[in-house]
Amino acid sequence: MNNKTVEDLNVGQSGIISAIDAPKEIKRRLMDMGFTRGIRVDVIKKAPMGDPLEVGIRGYNICIRKEQAANLMLKESI
Amino acid sequence: MAKICLVGNPNCGKSTLFNNVTNTIAHVGNWAGVTVEEKYGDWNGNQTLDLPGIYSLSPYSPEEKLTRRFILDSEPDLIIDVIDATNLERSLYLTTQLVELGRPMILALNMGDLLEKEGIKIDTEQLSKMFHSRVVNISASKGLGFDELNKAVEKSLADKKVPSCPLFAPPLELLITEIIADDFMHEAPKAYPRRWCAIKLLEADELFLANMPPVPEKLAEVIKCRTEKLEKVFNDDIDAIIIDQRYHVAEDITKICEVKKDPVKKFKLDNIVTNKFLAIPIFVLVMAFVFYISISVVGGVTTPLIESSIATIRESLHSLLNNLGVISFLSNMLIDGIISGVGAVLTFVPQLFVLFALLSFLEDCGYMSRIAFIMDRAMRSLGLSGKSIIPLVIGTGCSVPAIMSTRTIEHPKMRRLTIMVTPFIPCGAKLPIFAMIIGAFFNNAWFLAPIMYFIGIIAITITGIVSQLLDRHKEDNAFILELPRYQIPTLKNTWIQTWERTKGFIVKAGTTILLASILIWFLNSYNFLLQEVSPTSSMLASIGRVIAPLFRPLGFGTWQASVALLTGIAAKESIVSTLTVALQGQPITTLFTQASSFSFIMFILLASPCVAALSAMATEMRDRKAFWAAVAYQTGFAYVSSLIVYRILLGVL
Repeated sequence: MNNKTVEDLNVGQSGIISAIDAPKEIKRRLMDMGFTRGIRVDVIKKAPMGDPLEVGIRGYNICIRKEQAANLMLKESI
Repeated sequence: MAKICLVGNPNCGKSTLFNNVTNTIAHVGNWAGVTVEEKYGDWNGNQTLDLPGIYSLSPYSPEEKLTRRFILDSEPDLIIDVIDATNLERSLYLTTQLVELGRPMILALNMGDLLEKEGIKIDTEQLSKMFHSRVVNISASKGLGFDELNKAVEKSLADKKVPSCPLFAPPLELLITEIIADDFMHEAPKAYPRRWCAIKLLEADELFLANMPPVPEKLAEVIKCRTEKLEKVFNDDIDAIIIDQRYHVAEDITKICEVKKDPVKKFKLDNIVTNKFLAIPIFVLVMAFVFYISISVVGGVTTPLIESSIATIRESLHSLLNNLGVISFLSNMLIDGIISGVGAVLTFVPQLFVLFALLSFLEDCGYMSRIAFIMDRAMRSLGLSGKSIIPLVIGTGCSVPAIMSTRTIEHPKMRRLTIMVTPFIPCGAKLPIFAMIIGAFFNNAWFLAPIMYFIGIIAITITGIVSQLLDRHKEDNAFILELPRYQIPTLKNTWIQTWERTKGFIVKAGTTILLASILIWFLNSYNFLLQEVSPTSSMLASIGRVIAPLFRPLGFGTWQASVALLTGIAAKESIVSTLTVALQGQPITTLFTQASSFSFIMFILLASPCVAALSAMATEMRDRKAFWAAVAYQTGFAYVSSLIVYRILLGVL
């Protein structure tokens, strides 16, 4: 079982989303912003206090907290 | 007259477009959800509405609900979907939802001037075919493409062509078709398109179901059974399947219509602005600069100028009216009531204007979102989120727009907490009273003004920590915020926003404060038998004396101070004018000691805000009980902390 999430990525790394494991409303919000299966997420930066993260998705930049980053499961890299 | 509405993602330039094509005005900001109210304007004789920026039409955030309700219930003749062309894929996700609402639509591809720079090409003809809608390239900030847009609007209003909805994957599409065919669909209001209703039924959308009779058992059973099968096929829940399908559509269309070089955006300025070590010092410096420029530099020059000219006007008017033989009732009312009262407020209009202009610049250029990003972690330990920082910053100008800007905070509990603490940040209207006291009692000590902001921040911190401790049902909070590109705000937008907010103050000076000044002057100059008396035996003094004992423990139990606090409920600016009028030329040092004067401004800082802010609080809290609890908390908090500080100061000073 692969349990890697966006939270585990370092700045500069990227991954492909395989599933979103979050409460209904937050899942809906994340998906509305474009976090859907098969989409590539680039971790661009961490805020000065280590949280939240700035990530690139679908050609734009968005910040999410580590908690939400941990909701975004990644596909196993080959 | 046709009805047009502008819809689009936050930061897509919708409000800039609105400001440029219509005669009325909306606030613009490079910050999600700046259009916090519906704004109407006139565009070539068509009534045009600027709706809040949204990413989706889900039933969760207040803004999405508002936009959806408006489009469905008021049946606009035309929707203009404003799209940030540099962000096509995500923008089209909203488009896939808008087309389902069944109104004629134009896609306005904004930021056309940036496409080349970012290495993007869009085939508008293809895009137009995909949605069966007109597509126009514009640049709202540079004013390009408006002729074409005007023509498209004219044509669309004439032919009333409705866009087509791109199809989803076959299993889902089949189910939607079946639901559309069901007799139950006839129960839906006529304006609601069938396909949209079917999808909402599948999503079990609360807002939609609330407007419908109960779903018949047979249909409910079919939907349930078929949904379960679908969920198995796609291995996800139905809501997620539909969002996923929409994004597939958006991806496919983007693939066909767009050529893009670089998939990841990097903002060079962010290397410095959100840098690990520099971010917070820069934030502090920026805020210090804003206050230094507006209050010290501008205020320092204009305040004495205006004060001396008001004094000159008073004197010359006094002798003029005397010479003309105007009865003393009128001349006193004019000079001691109106000119003293309103003048005291107008004194600080220039510095507020500059403060509003600088804050508006920060909003428009994209820096506010960065502040939210860097401060989220700190705000979170107070039960707030990074998004709460924006209302607090705007609150340094005025609590009313600040409270309205809390709408972008998705979580109701956090939104209420932010609304409750926003007035703790001293607004512009409280500055004159601080200045008056600091000048009279503390020899203009430079450090006292920052201390007032600091006290506000401590009050917010205490409130946050207490609410965290009391909160037994901690819920999952998300903080999801787009970081838009930096841009130089257009002069027009900055001017409009600054002028709108400043105008609010001037209008208040001309109305509420004018009336309050006359009333206070009258109550202050006459007794209950309507005889002209000295202020100490006036009606105002009698009223003040009734309330004064309440404030005796805080050190300012005089009738003048009590009355000033009462008029402060109408507008905080009137505290200065009330004191000025009530003192009738005596120095303010007769009213307070050093300790009690500080306790007085501290109470003003923390106690419940002016009527305008109170009504904004009530509207945004959407809960009467929560509102009164917040007001009681603010006032109680102010009372207790002033009491404590007064007692401490008594010992120290």
